[in-house]
Parts: sequence; C-alpha cells; structure tokens
Amino acid sequence: MEPGPIPTFQPRLKVLNRRQALAIHTAALEILEKIGIKMEHAECLEMLDAAGGSVFDKDWIRLPAYLAEEAIRSAPRQIALYDQHGHKTMPLVDENSFYGTGSDTTFTLDLETGERRRCVLADTGNFAKLVDGLENISFAMSMGNPEDVSNVDYIYVYAFAEMVKNTNKPIVFIADRGEDIAKIHEIACMVAGGEDRLRQKPFLLNYSEAISPLRFPAHVMDRLLFCARKGIPICLPSGSNAGGGAPVTLAGAMAMGIAENLAGLIVHQLAGKGSPFLFGPNVSALDMKSAVVSYGCPEWSLTQAALADMRDEIYGLPIWSFAGASDSKVVDAQAGAEAMFSIITAMLSRCNLIHDNGYLEYGSTSSLEMVTMANEWVAMARFFTHGIPVNESTLALDALERVKNAGPQAFFLMDDHTFENFEQALFLPKLLDRSRYDTWEDEGSKDLYTRSNEAAKRILDEHQVTPKDDGVLKEIDDLLNAL
Amino acid sequence: MSYQTLLDAVIKGDIKTATEETLKAVDAGGNAQDILDQGLIEAMNIVGDKFSKGAMFVPQMLRSAKTMQECVEALKPHFQENAMTTKGKIVIGTVKGDLHDIGKNLVRMMLEGAGFSIIDLGVDVPPEVFVDKIKEAKADVLGMSALLSTTMPSMTKTIKALVDSGLRDTVKVIVGGAPVTRKYAEDIGADSYAPDAGSAVLEAKKLLNIS
Repeated sequence: MEPGPIPTFQPRLKVLNRRQALAIHTAALEILEKIGIKMEHAECLEMLDAAGGSVFDKDWIRLPAYLAEEAIRSAPRQIALYDQHGHKTMPLVDENSFYGTGSDTTFTLDLETGERRRCVLADTGNFAKLVDGLENISFAMSMGNPEDVSNVDYIYVYAFAEMVKNTNKPIVFIADRGEDIAKIHEIACMVAGGEDRLRQKPFLLNYSEAISPLRFPAHVMDRLLFCARKGIPICLPSGSNAGGGAPVTLAGAMAMGIAENLAGLIVHQLAGKGSPFLFGPNVSALDMKSAVVSYGCPEWSLTQAALADMRDEIYGLPIWSFAGASDSKVVDAQAGAEAMFSIITAMLSRCNLIHDNGYLEYGSTSSLEMVTMANEWVAMARFFTHGIPVNESTLALDALERVKNAGPQAFFLMDDHTFENFEQALFLPKLLDRSRYDTWEDEGSKDLYTRSNEAAKRILDEHQVTPKDDGVLKEIDDLLNAL
Repeated sequence: MSYQTLLDAVIKGDIKTATEETLKAVDAGGNAQDILDQGLIEAMNIVGDKFSKGAMFVPQMLRSAKTMQECVEALKPHFQENAMTTKGKIVIGTVKGDLHDIGKNLVRMMLEGAGFSIIDLGVDVPPEVFVDKIKEAKADVLGMSALLSTTMPSMTKTIKALVDSGLRDTVKVIVGGAPVTRKYAEDIGADSYAPDAGSAVLEAKKLLNIS
C-alpha cells in the first residue's frame, strides 16, 4: 500500500485549557442555580417554573443545571443558512467561519463627501448591495438605523425589506418586538415562497439582546418565542461587557454572559425543541475612560476565542462573534489595525458567524470603505489559516531541476510550474498596494481609504443584484405601505 | 480652615480617611456648608476636571463620588439649623422605550458629586412621568438619556409634553447619549447637549449660572 497524502496542518488558536473551560461553565451553571435571572415575560416565567425553576421576588427565577444541560443537548449542532435562492451558503458548524456586516449604527461615512452623517434607508440598501458584490462577505445586516422611514415603530421592517431588495445573500436582522418580527417573517416567507420553504431553507437569523446583568425584558422574549416557534435561527447575546454590564475580570464576564445565554437557550428549547440557536455572549470591555463598549479591544477577540474553545469542549453549538470593527472615528491606521486584529483572530479561533465588519466609532458609525477593506482582510486571513499544502507538486523539485538545467538565463517566473500554480500558491491582493513607487505616484498617490472608496463606488455602480420577481416586490411594497 | 487632607482623600477615594477628616473638621468648629462646598464639592470639581482630561479612569472617579457621598452622610446631622443647600434640583432618566442606564448613572454620580440634588427616574421613563416629577419637585433641570437612535424621538415627545403642561419655561433641558448630537439637541428644542458625564456637569452649571 502506498503512503497517503500528507495532511495539511491548518493553523488555529486555543486560549483555554479544559479545566479553565469547565470552571467557567460550572460558574455559569452556579449563577443560574444560586443567583437566578430576572424574567420579565410572564409566559416564559411560567414555562421555566413548570420545567423545574423556582420563582422568587416576583419575576426572579433560579434554574437547575439540568435544564441548561438538556437545552444544550436538544439544540441543533449545525445551523445551515441559505441564500435567498435556496443554496446552502453558510453551514454554521465545526470550524466554518463567515463574515458579515453589523446593524443599527446611527451614523455613516458618506461615500461622496466622507462626512459623518445620520443613516438613511438608501444606506442600508447600499451596504446590502455592496455585501452582495463582495466575495468574502457572506451575509448582510442593516448597518444603520435609517432616520427617514415613514413609521419609526416599524424601522426594522423597512430595513429588512431594503436588504431583501439589494442582496440575495443571507440576512441577519434586528426586530423590536413580537409585532414587527411577524411582519419581517411575512416578508421572508414572500421571498422564500412560503413558510414551509423558509423553515426548510432559512436565509435569515435574528439578533436579539438580553440586558446584562441577568435581565430578560418582555419584548425581547416575545422575539425569542416567535423565532423558537417558527424555526427562525436566533442568537441572544447580552451586553456582558467587562466592567459595565458584567464583572471587569474576563472569566467572570464570560461566566455571566454564558449564564445569560443558557437561560435564553432554555426558554428557547422549551418553546421550540430543536429550533436553531446560535450560542455566544458579547464579552467586550467597557473603556475605563469613555465608558463606551469597545469594538477594537483585544479583550473581545480573546473572550470569543475562549468561547470557541468552550464550544469544542462542552457546548457543541455554533457560535456568534464579531470582527472587522474599530473604535476609531475615521478610516485610519487604528481602524486598520483593530479590524485586522479581530478578523484574523476570529478565524484562527474558529468562530462561526462573525458580524460587525465595517464598524467605526465603537459601532456608532458604519463605513462602506471599511466593509470593502474587510473583504480583502478576510481573504488574507483565509490564505493564512489555510496553511501550507505539502506534496510532490508543491515541493516542486522537478521545477527546480528544470530551472537549473535551463541555463543561467532561466528563472522561476518563466517556468510552467509558476504559471500553473501561482494563483493558488500565493495571496494576490486587490486593494492592498504593492506597486512600485512611480506607478503609485502616477496613479494619484492614493492611500487605502481612497482606493477602498473607489472600489466601493465601482461595485455599487456596476454590480448587478439578481432582482426579485415583480410579484414578490409588489407584495413587499403592499406590506410596507400598510404599516 | 484648610481642607487639603480631605480633598486628597476624596480624590484618592479613601473613604475611611475622608470620613474621619470630615468629622474632624466638624469637631474643629467648621461650618457644615463650608465643609461641603470647600471640601467635598471642591474635591469633586478637581476629580471632574482630571477625569475630563483623561487623567483619571471611570472606576476611580466613581470611587471618589462614593467617598463624597459617605462624607455627606456623615455631615448631614450637622446641618440642624439651616438645611443643606444644593446647587439645584435635577430630574434625570433614560427615555421611554430605552432600557440602558450605564451612561445615565455616570451622569447622575457626577452631578451629585458637583452638589446637585438628583431625582433619578430610572429607565423607560414616559413623558408624563418626567412632567409629573418636574412639577412635583419644582426641578431646575431635566436630563434625558437615550442609547438607541430608535428611542430618541421620546426626547421630542417629552419636550412637547413639557410645553403642553406649561412647564417648559420653568426647567432647562439637557440631552445626551450615544446617538444624540448637538444638532439633534437644537432641532428638538433642548437647552443643552452633553456628550459625556463630565460635560453634563459643566452644562448644568452653565444653564443655572453657577460658577
């Protein structure tokens, strides 16, 4: 028998050992059992009470560990997200990582003037279209809370419809309460061709938030119940940022954030056993000078790497995470350094659904240029984490021999092996500049921000989004007009 | 009377020393209002200044505020004849629909430290509750906070409710929170805008003509 091929080691990152992972998990269970949670949704409170929890102080409830363990077991290990044509483009399982944009910024950098201004609905459309045209950005989020919608009570419905009109990639969406999430679900059913088809091939995932510490507001739980019953994938992180919503030490912030996530998962699985739930708290750090939740800090990257280790050791559920964001107010070196730091570490630490790419100003401002850059940085990270395939062809002794025998004028650039392999063997940047100085100067001495701005404009100008059927578009507009 | 040791203790957040120094000043015959104004509030002015220059971190600033509050508690029994005078009454809260309160709590602590009397209505506060409380407490200033751009319209509604109830001219309005801008504050007819806790104090003082 011949020896098999040499497997390629793919570089990955681990930040916790098994004992650390188990200790944080145990602490999370202890929080649920001893401290309890504040469940402000009457039906959920009853459900938890009937399942074995014990209510105290009106709407506080302690939850036995077995409820969490049961919920972890019944939630699916894979969440497959489809594009809007029904192709499975995001199997959230194992080490698969997918990058996308974020939601809810108040401001955006204007593509024409560079000015920071309030977001409008057209921006959400532009971000979705850009995502549609970028090969390494896998899903869309609204990237803005538009100020120009006709009825602010349904702001998330308008944003969702705008995304549907401008991309066919999967969508991660926000809702406010039971009422608007039902409208969003209606639109999704129109796009998918009915509720059953949407359930079979979901192209959407809801992002909702509990409030740290340990608080579950009623309108948030309405969304959770809705998703559990309709089979819409959901994640329910809380704002367990170190020093603000949670203890300042990362282990304690993680334990509390995981306890909150487990509490949400318990309700979710009681309401819809086997419904898809994306696991993961948002454990960032509260900046100790400005009191903002940082989007460029190393802490968040570290805690989500730790969560990935805990997933592998304990939970087995796909996880929610962030990357490609910055606290910088402008697209500058800080923005680049922070965004790249989180992009590469999220991939190395095997995170699954990675949102917020393209954020500036700790999530208050969005930038089309940043998303365009993130697309390239994700490609760099993919190249790096792919590792070095080692086999006869890549060792290339034949090529070496050919070049040696071809005489003193021969060099590898002109060898067939180079021609045949360079596109896979090397990372070929598109936005990052390696041109010679004079060329760069002749092209207008453009920095990365300028080049990304031009690239974003070009995509918005030239990229064709496969349009939805007129019938579907009319149904959506009728729904919007009736709001 | 020199309050240097007291000032240093409050700035350092040394609760034990600060409380001892407060009582020592009382024993030495110091006037309670002077101890409050020249010792405790002066210390918090320095803290506020250091904080806004980035020379102090939030937990240190909060520890100073806590130290000051402990000292005020110790000082209270010594105000028998004339009640403690505060710099003004401020009603504060996070607006309806919004459940976030870290920023609002920071503002409250800083305003208390600066010698204002604060009525904190918490989160998710409807316009009519703001109005009732302002009327009842005869408040000088209203401070409204919002973290979400979707809840900012509640600020407009509250200001309108103040106008409708005839109270608008009796109270100054300061707004703040992540999505709020100076322009937004002007557009909705607020009197002032504070981007962070430190500037909330400066703005409140400016509105009430306090140096």
